[in-house]
Amino acid sequence: MTGIRWYHLALWIAFVAIMFVMPQLVSKGTLRIIIMANFLAIFAISWDVLSGRTGYISFGHPFLIGIGAYTSAILTKRFDVPLEVAMPIAVLMTMIGGIIVFLPALRIKGSYFALVTLAFMELIYQLVQVIRPDLTGGTRGMSGIKTITRGAVSNYYLSASLLIAIAFSMWLLMKTQLGIALSAIGMNEESVRGSGLSTTKLKLFAFLTSAFVAGIGGAFYVHYLGSIAPRALFDINFLFTIIVAALIGGASTIIGPIIGAFFLTFLLEFLRPYLPGAERYFIYGMVALLLYMYQPKGLIALMHTGWNKLTGAR
Amino acid sequence: MAFLELKSLNAFYGKAQALHDVSLHVKPGEIIAIVGANGAGKSTLLDSVMGMTTTTGDILMEGKSINQLSTAEIVQSGVGYAPERFNLFPYMSVRDNLLVGAYTSRESIESNLAIVHKLFPKLKERQHQETSTQSGGERQMVSLGRALMTSPRLLLVDEPTIGLAPKVCGEIAVALKRMCDELGATIVITEQNANFAMTLASRLYVLESGVVKAEGTVDELRGDARLTEAYFGA
Repeated sequence: MTGIRWYHLALWIAFVAIMFVMPQLVSKGTLRIIIMANFLAIFAISWDVLSGRTGYISFGHPFLIGIGAYTSAILTKRFDVPLEVAMPIAVLMTMIGGIIVFLPALRIKGSYFALVTLAFMELIYQLVQVIRPDLTGGTRGMSGIKTITRGAVSNYYLSASLLIAIAFSMWLLMKTQLGIALSAIGMNEESVRGSGLSTTKLKLFAFLTSAFVAGIGGAFYVHYLGSIAPRALFDINFLFTIIVAALIGGASTIIGPIIGAFFLTFLLEFLRPYLPGAERYFIYGMVALLLYMYQPKGLIALMHTGWNKLTGAR
Repeated sequence: MAFLELKSLNAFYGKAQALHDVSLHVKPGEIIAIVGANGAGKSTLLDSVMGMTTTTGDILMEGKSINQLSTAEIVQSGVGYAPERFNLFPYMSVRDNLLVGAYTSRESIESNLAIVHKLFPKLKERQHQETSTQSGGERQMVSLGRALMTSPRLLLVDEPTIGLAPKVCGEIAVALKRMCDELGATIVITEQNANFAMTLASRLYVLESGVVKAEGTVDELRGDARLTEAYFGA
């Protein structure tokens, strides 16, 4: 482990404490919005582990989330598999999906890689609608999927615990030499090779880790919603919300995607009464663009600058 | 026996041939320099030793072929590579840059860090600074330091003085000399700055368009009027 300071741990403790007391501070309606923000944060962290670190921009993240969600939903609803068995299988299947996404990365990068991953998302979108609709529910998807718990407060604690566990473990992982090497790939892959590291193995690890998180997130998400619809899950707006959350918060930081996810979720909810349709995405796109132009390192960098000014640190 | 020996080495980028029948050798504990202009194939030569290009011909280290080894295996066998300083990880701290280098030599991280800090005390003082905010000279120190973190016996250094002030070039030369004398490293540097190379290397190879045009000691090469005009100044 490297670069862990006392105030990092203090901030984590503060974050956990705030999340713990949140149900006492806000209404149940707000709590439901936070649950969605928690899941978006998990998805954004998963995207960030892959794309934010290694620089391999994935436009197909809902492909991975979809595998996790659909596998768990099908196993529990169609085959009465218990949740505690179905969810690990879903995560495993998502990791296999991660290997599939990894294969093009052996040969291509940059915009070509992004387009191939977009094709993966489109492929699974079409497949779930036409292949065995008796299992997937076809275009209508599935409803009546088992939920893990009921009620806003218990679902909040479940999603918050999941987010904290994933975020903290990913943060610790990124503080190891392995995590540092992953970040180095995004900055200069050739140079990483020149230092004697196998970039293929490192990238495979990043893809598997990202898929692992996406699988957990997807499985828990579907058992929170209790339903799944391909049009919503494989929607381009859902994909962009994940990516923008990571970028707007601060890619390659773990905490950045969490901040971005909360910012975006609440921005979209704030805009809902004024712009009930998809126009909201135009506004958030503008906000994201302006923020990104002003500070490409995201909200986390703005907060860092603000903190430094406040404390007089350089 | 030569520590490193290249025999009739050809290197390719796709169909384009970048090195033509290059042969050279480096004795243990020696510093040699590959001198040439931009595009002469200097970096390609180092990349080839590191297994990062397609090659034909032989690359021998201590008499054993390393042609078929992966870059990771070459580093593990004791070759350290300090690429041009522009190839650092810009948004990482000095310490993290060094730790990427330490990946293949994890059992000696602390001792290697101590060696790097002894050679370049500035890197210890600024270990938490992002390398993108450092001066050219400091970044070059990080590049050399990162290579040292692999516990190398053979160090390949690509254009260590490019764009640096003369005073900083002097500091880099001293550091390289110490690496050779104190750590026993065998060093190959590439340089456009022939005068810098002469202060450091015992022998030089002059590379032009991927071909070795001349080789010898500094005094021997100074006798060549064309080379003197082209590389060493009047």
